[in-house]
Amino acid sequence: MKVENTRRAEAVRLRHAAAFYGSNEQLLQMMLPIVSGGLARGEPVAVAVRPSTEESLYAAIGDPAGLIVLAQPEGTDIESGQSVAANRARELRELTATAGPATVVSEHWSVLDGADGSFWTELDAAVNVALSDLPIELTCFFPEIPLHQAILDGAARNHPLLLSGGELRHNPSFRNPRDVLAERPAPAPVLLGAPDLRLTFGAWQLNEVREAVEHALTSADYGAGRAEDVVLAVNEVATNAVEHGGGEAMICVWLGNDGFTCEIHDRGALGDPLPGLQAPHPSEPRGRGVWIARQLCDTLHVWADGTGTHVRMRAAR
Amino acid sequence: MESVMTRTVEDMTSVDHACAVPVSDEQLWEMTAAFVAGGLAAGEQVLYFDDGTATDVLARLADDRVPVERPMAQGQLAIVPPDTTRTALRSPVPQVKQIVGTAIDGALQKGFPAVRLTGQLSYALQRAGGVSLREYDDAIDEVIRDRPARVLCFYDRRRFPDEAIDELRAQHHTEVAVPAIYDDNLLRITSDRTGSARLAGEIDHSNRPRIRRLLDTTLDQALRSHSAPSDITLDLSSLRFLDVAGAVSLVHAAEEFPSTHRLVLLGVRPRVARVLDRCGAPFAAQLVLNQPETRTTHDGAHAAAG
Repeated sequence: MKVENTRRAEAVRLRHAAAFYGSNEQLLQMMLPIVSGGLARGEPVAVAVRPSTEESLYAAIGDPAGLIVLAQPEGTDIESGQSVAANRARELRELTATAGPATVVSEHWSVLDGADGSFWTELDAAVNVALSDLPIELTCFFPEIPLHQAILDGAARNHPLLLSGGELRHNPSFRNPRDVLAERPAPAPVLLGAPDLRLTFGAWQLNEVREAVEHALTSADYGAGRAEDVVLAVNEVATNAVEHGGGEAMICVWLGNDGFTCEIHDRGALGDPLPGLQAPHPSEPRGRGVWIARQLCDTLHVWADGTGTHVRMRAAR
Repeated sequence: MESVMTRTVEDMTSVDHACAVPVSDEQLWEMTAAFVAGGLAAGEQVLYFDDGTATDVLARLADDRVPVERPMAQGQLAIVPPDTTRTALRSPVPQVKQIVGTAIDGALQKGFPAVRLTGQLSYALQRAGGVSLREYDDAIDEVIRDRPARVLCFYDRRRFPDEAIDELRAQHHTEVAVPAIYDDNLLRITSDRTGSARLAGEIDHSNRPRIRRLLDTTLDQALRSHSAPSDITLDLSSLRFLDVAGAVSLVHAAEEFPSTHRLVLLGVRPRVARVLDRCGAPFAAQLVLNQPETRTTHDGAHAAAG
C-alpha cells in the first residue's frame, strides 16, 4: 500500500530532545527545571512519565494549574508505537490550538518495552512525523542502562537534540524517521485467532466491504454515528489497498469484548512507513484518507513484509 | 404493441396503465416514490404492493420531503405486506381481477377521486408453471378500463430476464422513463435543469471521477447559458456515502469555481456532512452546505423527485 503524505513547506516547529539519567535523583534534577520553566513562562506543561516520577513531581512542585498528565499507553497500544504517537499528536494538537506553545516531558517506562524495546524506536520516529508541525518542546528521558540496547540505539537516532549538563546540543547520530524505520521496520502485531468475517475485494467491491463492516458494527451495538465513522475509516484504508496494492485485497474482522478489530492486507509495497501521521495540506488532494482514519480509530498500525502491506485497526464503541 | 410511448412519471396523470424498466435499485426507488408522491399530492389513494422494497421507497420519499405519516395513518397510502402481495400473485386471474376491482371501488366509496397501484411483481416469475404475467396485465387492463385508476408496473432488469421484459414492454401502451446522466447501480445522477443535478447512492473510489466530470460539465453549461443561475446545485438528499477523496474533490471544485459562481449542496445527510467537514468544506468560501433540519418533514408542500 502506497500512501502519500503531504510535504509541508513551513519550518519544522517540534523541538525534540533526548536526555539520559543514571539515577532517579538525577532524573528529577534534570526534569524539574524543564517543568517549572514551562510553567513559569505560563505555558501548559504535559507529562507522560512513570507513576513514581509523577509522584515525585507533585511532591516537588505541588499541583500547579497548567500541569497536564498525558495518558500512558495501555493494553493493545503497546503493539503500535505509531498509534501512540498519533493519539498523542491528536491530544497535543488540541492543547496547542487553544493554549499555544507547550512543554512536554516524556519518560521511558520498561513495562512498555515489549519483547525487545523496539516500541520506543517506532514511537519516537512516529513522534518526529506526527508532531512535526506543533509548537512543542519535547524532552524524552531514558535510563543510561536500559534492559534492551535497542532502546538506546533508537533514542540516539530519533532525537535531533541531546540534553546534558543543562545544555541542548546537536545530535550527530540523528537520522530522519523514515530511515530509522527502513532499518528497523514497524513489527507485525501479535496474531489474532480466526476472524469473524473474511472478505476479498477489488476496487468495485468497496461498497460490499462497507456493507459488511457496517452490519458487523451495528450487530455489535455500535451507535449509528460511531459505526458510520468506523466504516469511513475502513473504507479509506481499503481504498488505498486496492489503489496501490495491485488489485485484490483482503479484510478480516474480529468482534470481541474490546470491540471492533480489522485487518486489511494487500500485495503492494509500503512507500511511506508512517502514512497518515501528518495533517495533509488542504491543497493536497491525496493522503487525507489514512489521516482521517487514524483520527477515527483508537489504533491504526501499518506494517509491511515480504507478502505485502498490512493494516490493523481497532475502534472501541 | 410496437409503438411504445415514453413519458415521465409526472405525465402519468393522463395515462392509466404504464410500465417502467429501471436499470438500478436507485431508479426503482426514485420512480416508485415519484409515482406515490404524485398520487398523494392529487388526493388519490395509493396502493403499494410491497415485495421487500417498501423500506427503501419510504426512505426515498423522506429524502424527497414527501410527508407519508399522515397519509399512512389515514389510509390514503396503503402498503400491502409482502405476504399478501405474494398470495395475490398466486391467485387465479379472475380472483386477482376481483381483488383489484374491490380495492378500487372501496377507495372510491371512501371519497378518493382516483386510485394508484404500483409495486414489485417479480415474485410472479418464480411460480412454477403458473399463469404468465401477461395474463395478469390483461386482467388489470380490463379492471381499470372503466375506473379512475392508474397502474405503474415495474420490471427491473436485476430481477426480470430480458425476454420477459421485452414481452411485457410490448404489452404496455406506455413506458415511463426517467433518463439519468449516470447510473452504475451504486450511484445514480439525474438532472432536471441546467446547473442542477441530484446524486443518489454512494460515491467511492469506483465512481468518484464521475463527480468531477459532472461538475465540470455543469459549470461549463451554466457559464455558457445566459439564463442559468450562478449557483450550481447538487441535491445530496439521497447520497448515503461519500468517501474522503470524493469530499476533497467537491471542496476543490468549489474552490476552483469562478468567483461569480457557488457550489450549493442541498439536503446533506449528517454522515456526508461530517466527511465534508473533515475535508475542509468550512474553509471553502464558494461552497454552501444546506443540511435538512430533520428527516421527518412536516406536512404541507412537497417537492417531487428531481
